[in-house]
Amino acid sequence: MARTAVVVAVCSFALACGRDHGTPRVRPLPVADGSPALRGGGAPRSPRSASYKIDARLDVVRHEITATQTLTWINTGESAVDTLPFHLYLNAFKNESTLFMRSGRGGMRGEEASPGGWGWIRVDSVQVAGAELASTLAFAGGDETVATLPLPTAVPPGGTIDVAFKFTAQLPEVFARTGYKGEFHMVGQWFPKIGVRTGPPGAERWECEPFHVNTEFFADFGVYDVAITVPNTYVVAATGVLAAATEAPGGTRTFTYHAEDVHDFAWMADPYMDVMSGQAKVEDGTVEVRVVYRPAQKEFARRHLEAGVGAIEKFSAWFVPYPWPIITIIDPPPDAAMGAGGMEYPTLVTTGGDTVFARPGLRLPEYVTVHEVGHNWFQGMLASNEAVEAWLDEGVNEWADAKVMADLYGARASGVDWMGWQAEVGALRRAVGTDPSSLPVPIAAAAYAFVDSSAYASATYDKTARALATLEQTVGPAKFAAAMKAYTRAWAFKHPTGRDLFDVLSRELGEDLTWFVRPAFQEVGGIELAIRNAACRLVHPPRGVFGEGASRTIVTETEAPETGSYICEVVVTNTGSVHAPVDIELEFADGSTQRVRWDDRGRGTWERFVIERSTPLVEVWLDPENKLALATPVTHRYRLDGDGSAALRAAAWVSSVTQTLMQIVGP
Amino acid sequence: MGSTGMSMRGLGGLGDMIGAGLRGLSRYTGTLFAVFVVQSLIAAACMIGIALVLAQAFSHLPLFDEAVDGQLVAVIWVVRHARGTFVAVGGIVFAAIVLWQLAAWFLAGGLYGVLAERPESRGETARCFGASGAATYLAYARLAVCSLPAWALVLTVFGACLGMVAPRLEYALAVTDLIGPLAFAFVPALALLHFFWTVSDYARVELTLRHDTHDPGVLATYLRSLVFVAKRPLTLVHGGLGWVFFLLVTIAYAYLSQGRAMYGAEGAITLFVARQGVALLRMAIHVAVMAGQIELGRTRPLPPRHAEAPADATS
Repeated sequence: MARTAVVVAVCSFALACGRDHGTPRVRPLPVADGSPALRGGGAPRSPRSASYKIDARLDVVRHEITATQTLTWINTGESAVDTLPFHLYLNAFKNESTLFMRSGRGGMRGEEASPGGWGWIRVDSVQVAGAELASTLAFAGGDETVATLPLPTAVPPGGTIDVAFKFTAQLPEVFARTGYKGEFHMVGQWFPKIGVRTGPPGAERWECEPFHVNTEFFADFGVYDVAITVPNTYVVAATGVLAAATEAPGGTRTFTYHAEDVHDFAWMADPYMDVMSGQAKVEDGTVEVRVVYRPAQKEFARRHLEAGVGAIEKFSAWFVPYPWPIITIIDPPPDAAMGAGGMEYPTLVTTGGDTVFARPGLRLPEYVTVHEVGHNWFQGMLASNEAVEAWLDEGVNEWADAKVMADLYGARASGVDWMGWQAEVGALRRAVGTDPSSLPVPIAAAAYAFVDSSAYASATYDKTARALATLEQTVGPAKFAAAMKAYTRAWAFKHPTGRDLFDVLSRELGEDLTWFVRPAFQEVGGIELAIRNAACRLVHPPRGVFGEGASRTIVTETEAPETGSYICEVVVTNTGSVHAPVDIELEFADGSTQRVRWDDRGRGTWERFVIERSTPLVEVWLDPENKLALATPVTHRYRLDGDGSAALRAAAWVSSVTQTLMQIVGP
Repeated sequence: MGSTGMSMRGLGGLGDMIGAGLRGLSRYTGTLFAVFVVQSLIAAACMIGIALVLAQAFSHLPLFDEAVDGQLVAVIWVVRHARGTFVAVGGIVFAAIVLWQLAAWFLAGGLYGVLAERPESRGETARCFGASGAATYLAYARLAVCSLPAWALVLTVFGACLGMVAPRLEYALAVTDLIGPLAFAFVPALALLHFFWTVSDYARVELTLRHDTHDPGVLATYLRSLVFVAKRPLTLVHGGLGWVFFLLVTIAYAYLSQGRAMYGAEGAITLFVARQGVALLRMAIHVAVMAGQIELGRTRPLPPRHAEAPADATS
């Protein structure tokens, strides 16, 4: 008996544990993509002011990259430059004292950095015109994620400089978008990357913020030629197109990628990945969508592929056509997904990861893929400064994602369509998100200025999307779509700011949007609609004592009977900071309805509606079409006479469950 | 098994225990109904309390109607924005279960007493039920305290097993990936739970059967029952069979009621009545199991005598 129990226990544990990937095998040498880096070739889309040639070798045992890099930087400004600042992002993961680790309290997105899996980057050499300048490279801003390089000779306006680096990058155990997990390597923010000159001509300044847990990235467009050497058992995927793949000594091979008009370069190496691909049709051709996944994730890869193809097609149709020939979607292994998942780079994104609990119909995996692919527009092409205006890509992208999901999966079930449950993405986001009115920081704040990561995420992603959806519904979806298209076409391959977005919107919509933009984006608060009072009374002529002396009369109920009609009064308030027109639907006892509109822009915080009808009012519904996404709609629909039947049904269900529990604990 | 001459009296095994259960049910249907009425009253009180709390918060908000109709977004809104209401509902549920647990010590004692003494008339049954329930109430309460380390052990085993397979659960990609880890996490704990539950049941049987004659100590009875159950897998099979039927009835009802939404107050009442039928059936299963346990419990060796009593008293 005991022996049997031991055998059963051992077998159970074996069954419960371990999924073996097998031994990595030498992969066939990939064929170069053979396509130009931009679809159809053509002229550069961007100034290409920061271009990189990198030769990198990955040590898959030590998870370390040794590389040489030549940066060619063009001073596109009108002032000379005597110092170059560089991001050394990997130093954020060097120890617990970095700004990143301190600001994130050692974690990000709910995951802690792995103790012992530290990451760092060391610049071994930096040369300008053959002169070694490594000794002059100095960390700036009290953090090792930014270093400045004084130049022996200033770069004049329009001038070009080549800076040659040798560096060593130690990847962290996967955390905050980059690193390794087992044999999986996601390599992002891994090379010395120059900052961006911004500001008015002649008074430009560097934007090169230290790496904070809330801040992402900002960089200039350029051309990337990157050679990556890895063991010949590894599959590689990277930004751009594969220009060449060659065998190299020591059982390795070198993959050379070429990308144009991009502002970042990331790559992945893993010995177990497979690739599936599909074609997205855009107005001027097709885009190849590749999903790179481990075999156990094949079913999820299909979902990501469908979402990726759909996203490329929708974003291209609604904004700017996707300009590159390929997009690669990395589906990280489950144990690496928290760290590596849900990240965007030009032409390469990572999914949010896969789990058995994301059943088909629960569309979080699809949503994250659509979101990351969407970043190829909002930040990939419209390269806003994520450190200073994170909402401009994250929030605008979130707004667009909900529309893409609705178009791909149906408006009613774009978020959930499972076991009879259905929900639309925007409605779900609104329901699970933080009340915008409760956020202590406005949307338009620098990412590092938020009180905490939660407020940053709520304002940057959710509140922005809700504010844009509110504005869209207020001005009309068709007009708003055209205005957003105009914005993306005007600012693609540039560095737009929030002001640029609203300038274009105001121009295209033909109205000054200050009434909405200032309170919704630059101030704290939201829309706080409420029904303060809703009541009806039967109408009758005035009763009481009228006149004096001989003309004094007393009008009683008999003389002034009720007419049979009702006077109904509804008082609506908006105590929030954002005021937008609101429709109000009044339903009467005979089933008839009446719409009234309250446009409270500059007209106070409350309004009284008085309606005379032959039947009494039974229900008031503020914003029945849910146009005001910035508002919290729980009490927007109000029944004048209470109805407890739903409460009784819910109670019957709960008591039934309770009785089942009672029967488990007792007879 | 059994050191007394009468220990194996008329008991062949599982079939006899099931037969005893069926006989007990047919003979004491009224007692079953009486106990069930108590439970139904508590459940009904629970329902009314919850309905009042929910109606107070939501009767003017059609959003709640949508939530009850199963609209996911409405459910989220309602739960997020009326947490206090749902905490109150949880409190009512908790209070109902605690109340039932307290009542159950008396009711189980009464049931075991009736099934053990087999009174003939209705009045005799009522007297026997009340007397046995009252006599064993405090002993059952002490037994519950004695059982606490066992429940702690069950939780510890569950936590340890779950911890061992947590990464597999976290990173599972297919439903089949879940089966092994879930089985590893749950089966040992459920097996232990069933074992200790059965031990408690047989301790109750012993306390009921021997209360008048031997006045056995609760802890000693618990420990003796632990040994008894460990040596008699039949006890576990019999109890397990009861839980299987309990589960089958519950699943069958869930299956049959699926997709049959009932609206309005009439729907709520219809639901309550239908679910009471299911609850009655499940209680009948419990009572049948108790009758079988009494039957097997009679065969156990007598405990040490702590009270003056006839030497041959066995029931």
